[in-house]
Amino acid sequence: MGGLPYFPLGLRIGRILMSAAILLAVFPAGSGAAKVTPKEYRVKAVFLFHFAQFVDWPERAFTGPDQNLVIGVLGADPFGDYLDQVVRGEKKRDRPIAVKRFARPEEIESCHILFLAGSEDRDLERNLGGMKDKGVLTVGETDRFTRSGGMVRFFTQGTRIRVKVNLEAVHAADLVVSSKLLRLADIVPPGAKAP
Amino acid sequence: MKFGALPLQQRLMAIMLVTSSAVLLLTCAGFFTHEYLTFRKNMISQLGTVAGIVANNSTAVLAFRDREGAQEILSGLMADPHVASACLYDAEGNLFSTYPEGLEEDRFPASPEADGFRFIPSYLIGFQPVAQDGKRLGTLYVQSDMKAITARLKLYGAVAGLVAAVAFLLAFGLSRSLQRQISGPILTLAETAGRISAHRDYSARARKLEGGEMKILTDAFNHMLTHIQEQIARMELLNSITRAIGERLDVPSILQVMAETLERDLALDFSCVCRYEPAHERVTVSGVGLESAALARRMEMAAGTFIPIDRNGLSRCVQGELIYEPDISEVRFPLPGRLAAQGMRSLVLAPLIVESSVFGVLVAARRSAEAFDSQDCEFLRQLSAHAALASHQARLYGDLQKAYEDLRQSQAAILQQERLSALGQMASGIAHDINNAISPISLYAEFLLSKEDGLTPRGREQLETISHAIEDVAATVSRMKEFYRRREPEISLAPVQLNRCAQQVIELTRASWSDMAQQRGATITIRTDLEAELPLVMSVEGEVREALTNLYLNAFDAMPQGGTMTVRTRSTNAGQVRLEVVDSGVGMDEETLKRCLEPFYTTKGDRGSGLGLPMVYGMAQRHSAMVEIESEPGLGTTFRLIFDLPVGTVSAPKFAAGPGRSLAILVVDDDPLLLKSLRDALKGDGHTVVTANGGQDGMDAVETAVKEGRAFDAVITDLGMPYVDGRKVAAAVKEKSPATPVILLTGWGQRILAEAESPPNVDRVLSKPPKLAQLREAFASLPGLSAGSEQA
Repeated sequence: MGGLPYFPLGLRIGRILMSAAILLAVFPAGSGAAKVTPKEYRVKAVFLFHFAQFVDWPERAFTGPDQNLVIGVLGADPFGDYLDQVVRGEKKRDRPIAVKRFARPEEIESCHILFLAGSEDRDLERNLGGMKDKGVLTVGETDRFTRSGGMVRFFTQGTRIRVKVNLEAVHAADLVVSSKLLRLADIVPPGAKAP
Repeated sequence: MKFGALPLQQRLMAIMLVTSSAVLLLTCAGFFTHEYLTFRKNMISQLGTVAGIVANNSTAVLAFRDREGAQEILSGLMADPHVASACLYDAEGNLFSTYPEGLEEDRFPASPEADGFRFIPSYLIGFQPVAQDGKRLGTLYVQSDMKAITARLKLYGAVAGLVAAVAFLLAFGLSRSLQRQISGPILTLAETAGRISAHRDYSARARKLEGGEMKILTDAFNHMLTHIQEQIARMELLNSITRAIGERLDVPSILQVMAETLERDLALDFSCVCRYEPAHERVTVSGVGLESAALARRMEMAAGTFIPIDRNGLSRCVQGELIYEPDISEVRFPLPGRLAAQGMRSLVLAPLIVESSVFGVLVAARRSAEAFDSQDCEFLRQLSAHAALASHQARLYGDLQKAYEDLRQSQAAILQQERLSALGQMASGIAHDINNAISPISLYAEFLLSKEDGLTPRGREQLETISHAIEDVAATVSRMKEFYRRREPEISLAPVQLNRCAQQVIELTRASWSDMAQQRGATITIRTDLEAELPLVMSVEGEVREALTNLYLNAFDAMPQGGTMTVRTRSTNAGQVRLEVVDSGVGMDEETLKRCLEPFYTTKGDRGSGLGLPMVYGMAQRHSAMVEIESEPGLGTTFRLIFDLPVGTVSAPKFAAGPGRSLAILVVDDDPLLLKSLRDALKGDGHTVVTANGGQDGMDAVETAVKEGRAFDAVITDLGMPYVDGRKVAAAVKEKSPATPVILLTGWGQRILAEAESPPNVDRVLSKPPKLAQLREAFASLPGLSAGSEQA
């Protein structure tokens, strides 16, 4: 954070506020905070939306050219309505981007990016297995997510939220992740069981 | 030094150099502009490419907010040293990442501006959108310096300067050699013109040049020189003719010179000058060229010939128009017809105009048709104007000469008149004395002739001659007085026997014709051929004798070798009497005959007064006679006086025999001799005479007589006396004795008579010398003295 002293005062205040938000997100037990999406998830929500831009799906992932690109959230939704705000009116090429929320994996029909919330970590392997051949970019945030066959995992490095990509799983699902994204991401070595 | 004052060569070179420099400059400017613009475009394109790549690579770092990644991507710009700075803005427009790292944020725009590239001073800046799959993720800002373009332009400037210098040198060399193409001929022409101007040698010609305008220029120049040469020749000709004309002072020789000179110098085949006579509607040939003279005779146009004015050219010419007939072979009018008949084909008629009236026509002709060009015509017109002017001046000069001559003669006549006037004044005094002096001679001669019985016939004859001579002296004296009188004298004409006068004058002039002729050894024979019973004419005998004396003396003078003079009288049926004096002498030439009656004209040199014949002429005029002169040189002269006969017959005057009674007469005069002669003469007539010497004595005598009661029957008094003159005496007489008649005797008697006014108190005026006969007649006619009214 060598750059911090150079930030203008407003930005510094913002940074302090953001740190507070992260603290709140780390400790969500705080009462009355459910309605305000923490900073961490607002960033992740934006990231989710950006994945739509940097990932290409095979044709079979869509039923028709006009079909929505669906960002799904499985389990307890940490984003509140922020994700809806982010994608509102957005399109990938001609496809409108929509957000769907699923309580159980069985409900998932058409989905292209699926965020598996931490609440579903117990059934992770089963859930991921169910998604294997459906061309869905699976995004998670738990430590073992990529080891368990998930494709993209958010992790926090310092104050930054970064992503880790399991290329093997991505390729297996016939998805193409833009090299620009890959340049920023940590790549899970094939067969490695790194955390 | 102004550009226009530079020599042609330098100007041409300067023009070429300036032109090529301008072209070079414009080319360079265009090149530079193009280079600059192209380079800018290239810069934009290059920077756009770089920015595009960077922006494209920056999508993910912006999307996932990876500042390190962004920093890494931006640092790739280091590869382009001209990119001075760059930065990334996120989708919200916030500064996300900067290059080079660590540059202050305020060096960058606070927020992204409109997409695209533009130049700001010293820099090119650009805002490149950063988007992934159409999704705008942020903006890239790049700033490139212009060092590259400056360096490029410097290089180009150096190259262009070098090229320009080389090109200028090349242009200089080329223009130096190429300008000769244009300046060479012009300079040659200018040099020729300068040489011609300096030496006035208009026979020089410019060297012919080839090609377009240069050829036209030299041709025109040479043509102009030819023209000038011709003009100079014409002017010289005009000058020489004008000078030749100017030397002449009379119109005919001016016209002659003009015709001759024109013929010679203008190479005319025929030239003549005619004078216009508007009254006769014709022209008269006046001057003909020397070569043309023979031709002129053949075509009946020699000098002095008349040519009628035809309706054709000549009539227009005499109205002031210059006529040119290019071909007269078919023209049949009088003038061109005559010329055409002798082979002339072209003709110019130029009017000679003075003060807008034509007085002559210049005729110029040549044997070939259309042989006169407009220059010839113009020349002839000018020459005509000169000649006309010269003629006019010559005429004025002639008039002036004549006026001067008239003036000179008038002056001479006036001088003569003045001289005569003075002479007359003197003559008047002399006349008085002479009259007084001759009065006794006259009186005694008359007295002797009438009273003396013992005279021999010879003595009587001689006395008569004395009497006539005295009469003539008196007449001469009286005429002498006329010299200074302007007015014609009042004369009283009396019947005259011309035959007797003729004979008398022969006697009077005997000395001249006999002695003079004998001295020269020549014999002059006098013949008389007098008509018997010639009628009397009304004249003055003395003047007739004087006239005849002059005529006889002239006749003798005309016969220095001797000869015969005949005096002839004849009466004619026309009621005239002719008296001819014919001599066989040398006669008179025409000029002398014309002028012989002029006063002071004489052929006798100092011997002649020039007054003889004028006197004769004057007498004739006064006596209503005519003068005829016939003369042939070598054959003699006949001088004829023709008198008109008076109506009715005239008889010789009867002299009064004298009063029947004796009168008491007072004679007053200051001349004792006259007193004595008058007293003797009057006493001879039986009168009682008292004489008074002078006016005062006369008045005293009258007074005494009146006192004594024996008034005079008559008083005869002289007019001009010292102290108391005749008028005073007359006044005294009339005062004392009003009835007594007064007879005034005067040397100026004629004059007083002529003035038609008797002086007051005078009953009768008689001129000196007094004649007994006149006195007798006066006594007879005066009231109170006639025989019928005798006093007691």
